[in-house]
This record gives sequence, structure tokens and C-alpha cells, in this order.
Amino acid sequence: MRKARAGGDDEAVRQNGSSSRRRTDQHPGDGEDHDSSSGGVQDDDDDNDLGLRREIRSKYRDLINSVQQNREDMLSPSNNKLTEVLEEANKLFKDVRQAREAALDAQLLVVATDLGKEKASQLFSEGSAFDPTAFAEHLLSFMGLNRLEDEDDEPPNGCAGDGYLPKDAWHRLARRAECCFRTAPSFHYMMGSFYTEPPPPKQRIERQRKAPSKEAKRIMPTQLKKMEESHQEATEKEVERILGYLKSYYQDDPSPISYYEFVIDPNSFSRTVENIFHTSFLIRDGLARLKLDSDKLPCIEPVEEGELEAAGSFSRKQCIVSISPKIWRELIDVFEIKETIIQPPETQSE
Amino acid sequence: MTQRKRLSNVQNSSQSKRQSNSFMTQEEDEDATFTQPSTSQVQRGLEKLTPAQVDQKTAEVVQYILVKDQKKIPVRRADLVKHVVKDYRTVYPEIIKRAMRTFEQVFGLKLVEIDSKNHMYVLVNNLDASTARPSPVERPSNPKMGLLFVILSVIFMKGGVVRENLIWNTLKKLRVDPGQRHEEFGDVRKVITDEFVRQRYLEYVRIPHTEPVEYEFRWGQRSDMEVSRAQILEFMGQLHEQDPRSWTQQYREAHSAATASSSQASSSNHR
Repeated sequence: MRKARAGGDDEAVRQNGSSSRRRTDQHPGDGEDHDSSSGGVQDDDDDNDLGLRREIRSKYRDLINSVQQNREDMLSPSNNKLTEVLEEANKLFKDVRQAREAALDAQLLVVATDLGKEKASQLFSEGSAFDPTAFAEHLLSFMGLNRLEDEDDEPPNGCAGDGYLPKDAWHRLARRAECCFRTAPSFHYMMGSFYTEPPPPKQRIERQRKAPSKEAKRIMPTQLKKMEESHQEATEKEVERILGYLKSYYQDDPSPISYYEFVIDPNSFSRTVENIFHTSFLIRDGLARLKLDSDKLPCIEPVEEGELEAAGSFSRKQCIVSISPKIWRELIDVFEIKETIIQPPETQSE
Repeated sequence: MTQRKRLSNVQNSSQSKRQSNSFMTQEEDEDATFTQPSTSQVQRGLEKLTPAQVDQKTAEVVQYILVKDQKKIPVRRADLVKHVVKDYRTVYPEIIKRAMRTFEQVFGLKLVEIDSKNHMYVLVNNLDASTARPSPVERPSNPKMGLLFVILSVIFMKGGVVRENLIWNTLKKLRVDPGQRHEEFGDVRKVITDEFVRQRYLEYVRIPHTEPVEYEFRWGQRSDMEVSRAQILEFMGQLHEQDPRSWTQQYREAHSAATASSSQASSSNHR
């Protein structure tokens, strides 16, 4: 709606109810109550006014920026910065003529009232206020912030703050915070699964499939897979061989054999470990039995053919055997083991 | 097909797959074929199965949930039915009931439905954390829990909702900048606004009418279950060397009956 400048003032005031020239009595005390969104569309071609309006807009933008940037500062109940901003806006509003500036005023209003609401909520809350900044400071101390400045190194976190956090800072906090959480511990298998049988057939099939496809690569994969097979077979052969030793020993002397005497090879620690490993298979498959004799020492004996069925109904126990070179030597001394029962295999894979 | 009304939930148990629309939501097309069977249906279903079968299915459900919980993302009922329960869906309520009992009695965990509209479950520790000592077993601690703790604390102390800027500013003071890659947490913004939200530890909601778009943070449904406000207040007291009671509003909230029953230990479960 265009109005001629001279005569239109009064009507403009009555119709739009907002800004008017030099009619300060039209404004109530604080400009904020005005419906400033509908500005009068009065075209002023005066150059002065153009400059003035630009200045007003820029000042409004400054005010808006200052409120947004210094939000936390303004929130603090210890100062009156917010009121100052509003008074500043008040003054600016007196010169507002057009929608553009009025819109900026409205924007400032939105931002300021938002802040005002924040401040008001601080008033209503009883008890101590909570200041996130102080909280952060306390946390930093808790996490072990090292405030001594190290002049030479740059702080690893690149922050301009002084001191640097130790590597385990967040772990420290997490551990302390754990008691606030009732998290269910994550489920993971302890040892993973372990199968000995399936791999050999699979690899044979793969080898045959791979052979016709690529000429160049044929040799390398085949060789590798052959080696792995032999490892699997070697284990099973070893286990059977050891079962043989056990049985023959037991035939000669049908009393349980001392476990240590059976597995220990006084000449080689690594062979001893292998023997323990292979013996464990016998026990797992129920072909041998481990028990404690009258001296509470472990002894091993093979299980008779007929007993295999009954063994399934017994409760299976598991135990973990550990051995170190030191223990191995002690055992050799104590049991006076001079020679090994389980002969080393003919072909050495290593 | 008989001309039964769709509205009444009485149907022949396995014949019709078309079910009523009461739970139809966009994200759960599979769930559209699954509605909670009635008690009589469950009874009939149970009659057709041996106890061993039901036990087996229960065990499968328990294992599925345990593995799914590794990432702490809630288990959807639709997934559970589709992948594990399958044909046993008519006795689903019974299976879930048994699974819950198994979790409580065997594992000391609680299976909780945190979202009754979308039907999601989480596992929560059933043991009383406030009296428990720090675990005697050396477990590697997860630094993300520290980060989450900071965020949850600020939200709680500030009354339950905060604008995202407050969180980002506080974190910046702790040398965690969402704009930069953090050496512990990596992409911080993604961890907080994506991972924690998917795990339902946080809610990241857009504030309407903001330009540019701003979001606010709240406690997520999982946090309501898992996190003890009282414990947080205790730690606050220690840090600030103040009596937790001095934050009267927060103290009241932390010890009120409503929150106390869900997040603190409730030993009312049958053992």
C-alpha cells in the first residue's frame, strides 16, 4: 500500500498501527510490545534515510550476533547484559521505518526472549544452579589433566587450553561412571569354536576345482593345501600312536600309569607339550581316563572297549593343564624320569 | 475363507496370515503379519508342541538376544519372530515369558520392552549396581561410556532437555570437538547423534521452527532403564564437593518413586 508521504502519515499510523515518523507517543514505552512485523511500506527516496536504515540494520545484526555468541555470558544471573541489549534495541526501534528493519527487530526479539526464558527458568529452580563449565573443569581434574605446561611439545589434542589429558583419561572416567550404569555385560564366546574333522574334505574339493581354472597359480595353492592336510592327518596319527603306547604299556603292567611319567620327554620340552596335547585328545574322545591315585597324583589308563558306552553317562569334567620349562625340569627331577615312554615320531614336521 | 470380522482378533490359528491392522507401522512390514496371539491361541499352540520343543525354541531366542545385545542395539520383535521364532509364533508370548525367566534366573539380566509401540527389547543388568563393588574381574572399560555419562549428566542436571549447542560446548571444554576427529572416539558427532541414538541411550530431536535447524538432546529409553540418576547425583556431589541434596530438584527427581523403580534395583522379581 503506497501512501503519499505528506498526507499519509496519520492514516498510516492508524491503519498499520506500527512505526510512524517522529510520533514517539505512538510507541508504548518499550518497543518490544509493538507488532513490528507489519511495517508501513513507505518509500523514502532520501539518501540520508537510506544510509540511516543501513546503519540501523547493521546495528540490529550486531545485537543479534552478540546475543547469539555470548549466550552463556548473558545467561549468567550476575549481569544485566540482556537488559542492556533490549534497551539498545529500544533506541534503535525509534528510527525504524520499513519492514526490513522491523523484521530484524523481530528476529532480535525472538532470540532475546529465548534467552529470557532460559534466565527465568534459572530463577525458578531451587537449589544450586548447575554450571556445565564448572562441571567440565571438575571432570578435567578428575581425568588427570596435567596442568604443567610442556613448552616443547604441542599438546596432543591441539586445543588451546593449558595442560594435556593423559591417554587413559576417558577410561578413567568410564570406570568411575560404570557404577551409574546397569549395562548387561556383552556376551562373547570364551574360546571360540574348534573343529578338527570338517576341514580336510573341504580343502580337497577346493583343490580340484581350482586346478583347471588358473594355470599360473595352480602350483602354489596345491602345494599349500597338501601341507595343511598332512598336519591334520599327522595329529590324528599321533593320537593313535600314543594310544598304542598307552595300551601296550598297560598290557605289560595293568595299573594306572603316572600321567607325568607318560607324557614327559626328558630330552625335549616341546615334545612334552606335544604329548600333553595329543593325550588330551584321547581323554576327550573317552579312549583314556585320567584320575588321581592314592597319592593324589594324576594317572592315566586306557578305557576298555566295553566301557566306552558306560563312560558317556558319567559326568564329564574338564581341566586345564599348564606347564613351563621350570615345572618340566622339576618334574623330571622329582619323578626321576630318565627316558621317554612316547617315542618321538620318525618324520619331523618342523 | 470364513467371513470373520477383521476387527475381532479371533482367527483360525495357522490358516489366515492376514491379521488386523492395529500394529501396522511403516518400519515394520514383517510385523504386519504378526500380532500378539490371544491366550487361548497360545494354549492351543502349546498343546501341539512338546515341552522339549518349546524349551529348545526358548533357548534359541535367548541366544539370539544375547548375541544381538553385543552391539547394544535393541532387538526388534519383528526380527525375533522372523528369524528365530518362525513357526512357533502362536506361542510367542509363552516363549518370551520363559526367555525372560531364563535371563533373570540364569544370567542375572532383565529383558525389558523399552518401546511398547514398536516392540523393542533391551537387556539390562538385573543385579543391584549401587551395592556392587567395582567388578573383581579386570574388564577393559569402554571410553564411550565416559562420553555418554557426561552427556547424560548434563541433560539430567539441566532438567531433562538441552539444546545440542550446550552439549557441544561442554564437550569442547573437555577437548572433544565434534568438528574434528578425536583419537579415542573417532567421528564424535556420529557416535553421539547416530550410535547412541540407535542404541536408545539418547534422543536427538529436532526443535520445530528453528532456522537454521537445531536439535535437542534427551535421555533415551534405554538410559531410563539402565542409568541411575541417583548415582549420577552422587558422583556430581563428589566432583563438586557438594552435598547431592543441594540440587534439590534433581535430587527429588532422582529419588522419586517413578524413576527409582525402573532404573534402580528392584528386587521384586521372583527368583
